[in-house]
Amino acid sequence: MGYLDNSIITVDAILTKKGRELLARGDGSFKITQFALADDEIDYTLYNPDHPLGSQYYGQAIENMPLLEAFPDETQIMKYKLTTLPRGTAKLPILDIGYTAIRLKQGASLAITPQTLNYLGSSQAFEAGGYVATIADARLMQTYNGVGINSPESEQLNFSTTFGTNVSKTVVGTSINLTATSINSLFGTQTSLQTTITVIGRDSGARITVPITIVQVNN
Amino acid sequence: MALKAAGAFKRLDSEDITISAESIVAPLWSTDQSVLTQFFTSSGQVASNTGNYFYEVYQSDPEIESETSYVQVDLAYGHKLGSGSAPYDTGVVGKSPTSTIYGQYRTLIYGDEDVNFVFGTYESEGIYVINAERARYKEKLFPGSLNLTLTVGSNTLELTDNSRDVTTVAFVDGGRVYDIVSGSDGLPYSGTGFTPSLGSYGKFLPDIGIIVLNADALDATTGAGGIVLGTTLTESPNNIGRLYDAVSLGASTSLKSEETISSNYIFVRVRNGEYNYSTNPSNITSSGELRWDVMINSPQAYITTVGMYNDTNDLLAVAKLSRPLLKDFTKEALVRIKLDY
Repeated sequence: MGYLDNSIITVDAILTKKGRELLARGDGSFKITQFALADDEIDYTLYNPDHPLGSQYYGQAIENMPLLEAFPDETQIMKYKLTTLPRGTAKLPILDIGYTAIRLKQGASLAITPQTLNYLGSSQAFEAGGYVATIADARLMQTYNGVGINSPESEQLNFSTTFGTNVSKTVVGTSINLTATSINSLFGTQTSLQTTITVIGRDSGARITVPITIVQVNN
Repeated sequence: MALKAAGAFKRLDSEDITISAESIVAPLWSTDQSVLTQFFTSSGQVASNTGNYFYEVYQSDPEIESETSYVQVDLAYGHKLGSGSAPYDTGVVGKSPTSTIYGQYRTLIYGDEDVNFVFGTYESEGIYVINAERARYKEKLFPGSLNLTLTVGSNTLELTDNSRDVTTVAFVDGGRVYDIVSGSDGLPYSGTGFTPSLGSYGKFLPDIGIIVLNADALDATTGAGGIVLGTTLTESPNNIGRLYDAVSLGASTSLKSEETISSNYIFVRVRNGEYNYSTNPSNITSSGELRWDVMINSPQAYITTVGMYNDTNDLLAVAKLSRPLLKDFTKEALVRIKLDY
């Protein structure tokens, strides 16, 4: 992964692994309809409101940083989104899914109901648009779906399947249901498998990533 | 575009996405050299059964530089009556590799088994074919770019297509067709560039990457416009080798490919009141409070990445800026993203 030439502002664009998968599927799901902005790589501790030369220099250390090229793995980019909020906002939305880590036995099920804290003047709220939940390795789930958002697009996501390698799977809902795989062959010589689930508020852009461990029980 | 009260995703309007098709022209040959001056064949391929039908021509010796030697074009000889090669069965007259080649290209080019190759007004029973490899010509050959030098002994002929000389493009089943004439860079040296009495030197079919040469014109004497190529109609005459020798001794062939690249241009427009807060963990505490008080009323965020999503929030494409772009309530941004696929 190389650095980009930052002597002028250029844009380096690529399709993600997911984008290539949907393009190959050819069912119309590869259609760009919306965008979001992110500040991945930025370390705001470098922001210096005490800079002796004044406010024009507060962000000097950030503005001069070189940036890396884009990652094609959709779970490793667009992590920290910029969001539109009223001026004067002091607390930003954050997500709470009730777990800091998830550990499931083979075949066990779990329902996750995310909440957004500090959102639209409320200390905790359920976002009207629901939540996007992406599991990094879809093979580890026997079932994985979202409920509560009844648009055709959201429901279609529950039935989309790609066979083969460890591609991610995204579902939309106010609640996310997952059941760990019961397939032994995925484990090989290991006794547990790991992946992550990333939940993003569709309205707020707030995000949380939690590790998932699947423990083998059948031999 | 409506401004959302809060949120991280913004819908693109129809005018924010534009599709542009651009034509890319490049030299046909591997390594992008504009003129190919050295030609090689593979002795194994020539000696094999496929050598009865065509020769593969490389830009470097495939027996020495097998890793970097690529087929550039295939050469073939065809005859309407099957002359110039041994028949498949001695008792069956007229069915041989050369009649197979003749019929193959007749079907490809004309789509009509009753049509013969006519160059100008002259019908030739024998044809030579130069067939560009698909990986070289990509989508089509670029008209006006053919400069083919053929040399036999002291006789030299410089050929080109006449695409820059004609006012109306002719079409056959195989797409556009131009005559091959004596000249360069798409223009004849004089007049039509045809031979005095044997028609044009061939056909240039850019859309299927094929060049058909009039064997009778090449076999003619220099006074009749030819180079005395010496096509022989016996059963084992090595006519393909004669064309290969003429191309190789001519030592100068240039040709270009043409490819249409479709690009999506996506214009991301960010208004002054949008995207001024960051959910970056280094910008907020674990409870969501902004790290720096100065950012409560004068928030600043730095755009490094643009994500493009479908309706179900799948991240389809990403664009990285080469340096962070400051965003606050006094700034608007327009980012143009080009996606090729």
